[in-house]
Amino acid sequence: MMLELLIGVALVGALVTFVAPNRIAGKLAFAISLVPAALSIYLLTAFDGSGNALLADGGTIAFESSVEWIQFGEYTISWFVGLDGISLPLVVLTTILTTLAIVSSWTPIDDRESQFYGLVLFIEANLIGVFAALDFFLWFIFWEAVLIPMYLLIGIWGGPRRKYAAIKFFVYTNVASLVMFGAFIALVFSLDVTTFALPEVTAAMLNGGPQTEIFGLGGTSLASAVFLAMFLGFAVKVPIVPFHTWLPDAHVEAPTPASVLLAGVLLKMGTYALLRFNFTMFPDEVISTFAIPIAVIAVISVIYGALLALAQTDLKRVVAYSSVSSMGYVILGLIAFTQFGVGGATFQMVSHGLISGLMFMAVGVIYNATHTRMLTDMSGMADKMPIAVGVLIAGSFAYMGLPLMSGFAAEYFIFFGAFGSEFLEYAPIFTALAMFGIVIVAGYLLFALQRAVFGPYELETDYDVGRAPLHDIAPMFVLLAIIIALGVAPELIFDMITDAVDPILEHGGES
Amino acid sequence: MEEFFTYAPAIALLPLAAFVVALVFGDAMPKKGAIAGIFATAGSLGLSLLMLAAVASGEVHHETYYEWAVGDTAGHTAAEGIAFTFGILIDPLSALMLVIVSLIALLVHVFSLGYMNAEGEKGLPRYYAELGLFTFSMLAFVFADNLLMAFMFFELVGLCSYLLIGFWFRTKSAPSAAKKAFLVTRFGDYFFLVGVVAIGATFGTLAFAGDGSFVAEAEAALDGGETLFGFDAETWITITGLLVLGGVIGKSAQFPLHTWLPDAMEGPTTVSALIHAATMVAAGVYLVARMFGYYALSPSALAIIAFVGGFTALFAATMAVVKDDIKQVLAYSTISQYGYMMLGLGVGGYVAGVFHLMNHAFFKALLFLGAGAVIILMHHEQDMWKMGGLKNKAPVTYYTFLAGALALAGIIPFSGFWSKDEILYDAIILGLESNVFLAAYAMGLLAVFFTGFYTFRMVFLTFHGEPRSDAAEDPHGIGWSVKAPLVVLGVLSLVAGVANLAPVGKLLDLDIMFLEGWLDGEYGGLEELTYGFYGDMLPYETALIGGSEETTLLVAAALSLGLAFSGAGLAWKLYNVPEPTEHTQRLGGARDVLRSNYYQDEVQVWLAEGVTLPVARAADRFDQTVIDGVVNGVSSVSLFGSSWLKRIQTGLVTNYAALLVAGFIGLLLVLGVYGGWFL
Repeated sequence: MMLELLIGVALVGALVTFVAPNRIAGKLAFAISLVPAALSIYLLTAFDGSGNALLADGGTIAFESSVEWIQFGEYTISWFVGLDGISLPLVVLTTILTTLAIVSSWTPIDDRESQFYGLVLFIEANLIGVFAALDFFLWFIFWEAVLIPMYLLIGIWGGPRRKYAAIKFFVYTNVASLVMFGAFIALVFSLDVTTFALPEVTAAMLNGGPQTEIFGLGGTSLASAVFLAMFLGFAVKVPIVPFHTWLPDAHVEAPTPASVLLAGVLLKMGTYALLRFNFTMFPDEVISTFAIPIAVIAVISVIYGALLALAQTDLKRVVAYSSVSSMGYVILGLIAFTQFGVGGATFQMVSHGLISGLMFMAVGVIYNATHTRMLTDMSGMADKMPIAVGVLIAGSFAYMGLPLMSGFAAEYFIFFGAFGSEFLEYAPIFTALAMFGIVIVAGYLLFALQRAVFGPYELETDYDVGRAPLHDIAPMFVLLAIIIALGVAPELIFDMITDAVDPILEHGGES
Repeated sequence: MEEFFTYAPAIALLPLAAFVVALVFGDAMPKKGAIAGIFATAGSLGLSLLMLAAVASGEVHHETYYEWAVGDTAGHTAAEGIAFTFGILIDPLSALMLVIVSLIALLVHVFSLGYMNAEGEKGLPRYYAELGLFTFSMLAFVFADNLLMAFMFFELVGLCSYLLIGFWFRTKSAPSAAKKAFLVTRFGDYFFLVGVVAIGATFGTLAFAGDGSFVAEAEAALDGGETLFGFDAETWITITGLLVLGGVIGKSAQFPLHTWLPDAMEGPTTVSALIHAATMVAAGVYLVARMFGYYALSPSALAIIAFVGGFTALFAATMAVVKDDIKQVLAYSTISQYGYMMLGLGVGGYVAGVFHLMNHAFFKALLFLGAGAVIILMHHEQDMWKMGGLKNKAPVTYYTFLAGALALAGIIPFSGFWSKDEILYDAIILGLESNVFLAAYAMGLLAVFFTGFYTFRMVFLTFHGEPRSDAAEDPHGIGWSVKAPLVVLGVLSLVAGVANLAPVGKLLDLDIMFLEGWLDGEYGGLEELTYGFYGDMLPYETALIGGSEETTLLVAAALSLGLAFSGAGLAWKLYNVPEPTEHTQRLGGARDVLRSNYYQDEVQVWLAEGVTLPVARAADRFDQTVIDGVVNGVSSVSLFGSSWLKRIQTGLVTNYAALLVAGFIGLLLVLGVYGGWFL
C-alpha cells in the first residue's frame, strides 16, 4: 500500500492546501510535500524489485498492489501499481523536485497562493501515478490529469503571453495523447487479452502479436502502425523536433516552479512512455524498422535544438531549447537498444530533471531580483548575487556534461551504449554526430554566462538587486548535491536501472 | 617501500580538501586561504617524492579503487562487460610528473602570496579555492590508470582554467578569454571523447596498463589481422588514436587549436605559470606519453603528431618575434615548446619528449613567475617598450629570468638545450632514414633560431638599456615570497639537464642517462610502459650521418646551438642598446601577418560568429515561422483560443480549477465505489 499512501498524501494534501488560507499555503504545502519525499526515499532503500515490471519473467515488481476495478464488457480495468528500477528513480525525482519547487515558489508567487500550491501537489500526485501505474487506463487517467493543473499554473500565474502558451501546451499535448490513446486501444483489441494490465498486454504482444485485423492491418504491419502512432503521440510530449514548439512558449510564460516541474518531470513522461510502451512492448523487428529514422530525428533534435538555444537572447528560452537538445540524447540512447544506451537514457531522464530544475531555479532567482531575463539587459550579475550566480555557473557546467556531475555520466553512458550498438546501423556515425552537441551546448551557455553574469555590472532597473534569501538558495544546493552525488557514484541508481533494462533487450527472441 | 602507496590518493585529495577549506572558510583565514593551499600542495609534493622513492626502489602501484559504472558491452568486442573505474597508476612516468606538478603548484601558491595578496585583491578565497581544485584535477589526471578517468580530470582541468582565466570577471576581456579557452579546448575534447567511446567500444577496456589494457588488445588485434568497425585494425587504431589526439591538440595548444592560449593571458600571471608549465597545457602532451604504446602501433598517427609538432614549433615561434607584451611573448613560446615535445614524441623520442616536458615545466614556470615579478616591479605594466634597465634594480629577478631565458633559447649548459637537442637528434636520425621526416626536423631546427631571437629580444627590452618609463625608473619592491620560487626554479633550469646528458653520455660512453634509464624501467616499472618496450613496437628505422653516432650527435648539436646563438646574437645587435627601437618595419608585409597571428583568430571568430551564429539565427527564424507556423495553422490555436480565452478571467479560472480538482477526485471515488474498492 506504499504507493497508494504516496499518491494519497499528495492528493489529500492538495485538497487541504487548496482550502487553506493564502498566508500559510506555501509553508503548509512544503510540510505536506516532505511526506511523499521522505516516503519515496524510504522506497529507494526498501526497494526489493528485480527485472522489468512489464516483463515479469522471473522478476518481481516492487510495492505491487492490484485490485480489479471496473469490468468494461469483457475487459477488466484494474487499480494496478508497482515500481521497478526504471520507474522508482523517476518517482523519487518527482517528489524531491516538487518539494524544492514549492520552496522556490515562496518568493515569486504572491497571488492566490493556496490554489497555486494545491495545484502543485495535485500535479505531484498524478506524476507519481504516471510512473507507478501498470494498467493502461489507470496510467492514462494520471497522464491526462497532469495536464490540467499544469495548464492552470501557466494560464494563471504565467507571464504576459500566458494564455496563448497555456492553450497551446494543452491542446497540442492533448491531441497527441488522443492519437496515442486510439492507437493503443486498437492494439489491445487486436490482441488476445481481456485486460489493460500492461504486463499482460506486453506478454500477448511479444508472444503472438496482433491476432485480428484492424482497418485492414494485421500482424506486423498493425504492430508497426501502432508503434508509429504511439511514437508520434509521445514525441510531442518529449518533445522531439519538429513537435517541440509548444515547449519554449510554455517555459517562457510559466512561473519558475512550473518550469521546474515541466522540464524536470513532465518531459520525462514522454521519454518514460516511449521506453515503457514503444521500446518494451514491441518486438525487435518492429523497432528496428524505425531505427534509422528515429536515430536521424534524435541527431536532429540534439543539433537543431542546440542551435536554436544559441540564437536566443532570453535566458529562460536558452534553457528551454537546451531541453530539446538533451531529450535528443535520450532518444538516441533508446534506439541504440543496448544496456548502456537504454540505461543511459533512463539515467539522463533523472539527471536532466535535476539539472534543468536547477537551471530554471537559478534563472528564476535572478529574475526575482532583476525582473528581466534578457541577456542584452544584464551584465555583471556575479557582483551583486555571487551565490546565485555561482549556482548558475555550476548548473551550466553540469548541463555541459562536466565529469563528476550527473550530466556527464548520463551522456557518457548514452554515447558509449550508442557507439557500439549493433542494433542500429551506422551507429558510430549517428553517435559521433550527436556528440557534437557537447560543443554547441558549451557555446551557448558560456556565451550566456559571459553576457549576463560577468563583465562590469550594468542593469537599468528600479528594483533593489541584492543577495537572494536563503530559501531561494537552499533548494539549489540540494539539487547540486544530488547532481554531484550521482556524477561521482552513478551506481546509486544505475544498478537498478540496468536491472530493469536488461529484460527489455533480451525479449527479442520470444516473439 | 610499498607501504608508501597507501597514501597515493592523498596526493590529489589534499588539494581537493584545500579547495573546500578555502572556499568555505577562506575569508576568515589569514592570507585568505593561501595557507590551506600551501600546506596541501606541500603535502602533495612530499607524498609525490615518496612515490618517486618507492618507484626508484623498484615498486609500481596499480590499483583500482572504485567502480564508477559497470555494464555490458554492445557486441563489437569479445569482452563480456566493461567496468569504468577510478584507479591509480604510479610508474616512473607518472611519479615524475606528480613531483613536477606538485612542485610547480606549491611554488605558484607561495608566489601568489606576494603577487595576489599584496594588492588588496577581492575574491582571494575564490582564487585559492580554484588553484586547489586545479591542482587536484591535474594530479588526479596524472595518476589516472585508465583513459576515461584521464578524460574526466582532463575536463576538470579545463573547467579550472576557465574559472582562473576569468578570475577578474569584472572586466570585459577576461570572461571572453575564459570562454574562448574553454570552447576551443572543448572542440578538441569532443574528438577526445569520441575516441574514448570508440576505444572502449572496440576493446572493452580503457586501462592504460595491465594484461587487458587497450594497448595490449590493440596489439593483439593488429597481430590477428582483425577487422574492427569495418576497418582493418591499423586504420581503426589510427582513427581512434587521432580522435584522442584532438583533445591533446586543444589542451596543448597545437596548431590549429592554439588560439586560446595567448588570450588566456587575461588571467593572473601566477595562473599562466601554472597553466603553461604544469597543468592545462602539459596535460595534452602528457597524455600522448601516457598512452604512447597505442600511438606506437600506428605509423600514420605518429607521423601526424611529429608534423603537427614541428609545424607548431616554427609557426608559434615566428609570431613571438613581433609581440610587445612580455606575457604574449611567453605565451607563443609555450605553444612553440609544446610543439617540440610533440615533434619528439612523434619521431619516437619518448624520452626526449618527456625530458623536455620536465625541463620546460621548470623554465616556463620560472619565466612566467619572473614576468609576474617584472609586472610587480613595473606597477602592472606589461608592455616591454615601457620597461628597460631593470637589470640593476632587481638583480634576483634578472638573473633568475636570464637562467630561464637561456634554458628556453636552448643555450648550453642550461636544461632546455639538452632536451631540445635530444628531440632534434631523434628527428634527424629518423629523417635520414625516412626522408619525409627531414621536413619536420627542419621546421624544428629553424624554430631554434626564432626562439633564440625572441627570447633575448624580451630579455634585452625588459632588463637592459635605459628605463623607458617612470615605472621602470622607480620599480616597486618585491618580497621573499616572490624571490624564493624564482631562485628554486632558476637553479632547476640550470641543472635539470643533468637528468639526461645524452650527447655527453654517448660521446664519452658514460652511463649518465638517468632519465632514459628511469623511463626504461631500470629502477622499476611496468614492462609494457617502458621506453625499451615502446622502442620494439615503433615502426621506425633510423640512420646516422656517415654511419657514425658521434658525427651525427655533434653535427646536430652544432646546428641547433649555432642557430640559437645566431638568433640571440641578432637580438643582441638590435635590442641590447641604450635606446632600442622597433625594427619590425623591416619585415614589411610580413609584420602585419605576424602581428595578426596569421589571421588565425579571424578565421575562428568568423567560424563562430560569421557561420555558426547566422546558421543558428536562420534555424530560429525557420522554427518560429515554418514549424511553429504549421502548428498554429493546423490547430488554429490562435483562432479558437482567443474567443475561448475571454472566459478565462481571473475569478472564473479559480472556480474552474477548483471544479476540476474536485471533479477528478469525485470521479476516482465514484469509480472506486463502482469497482467495489471500498468493500
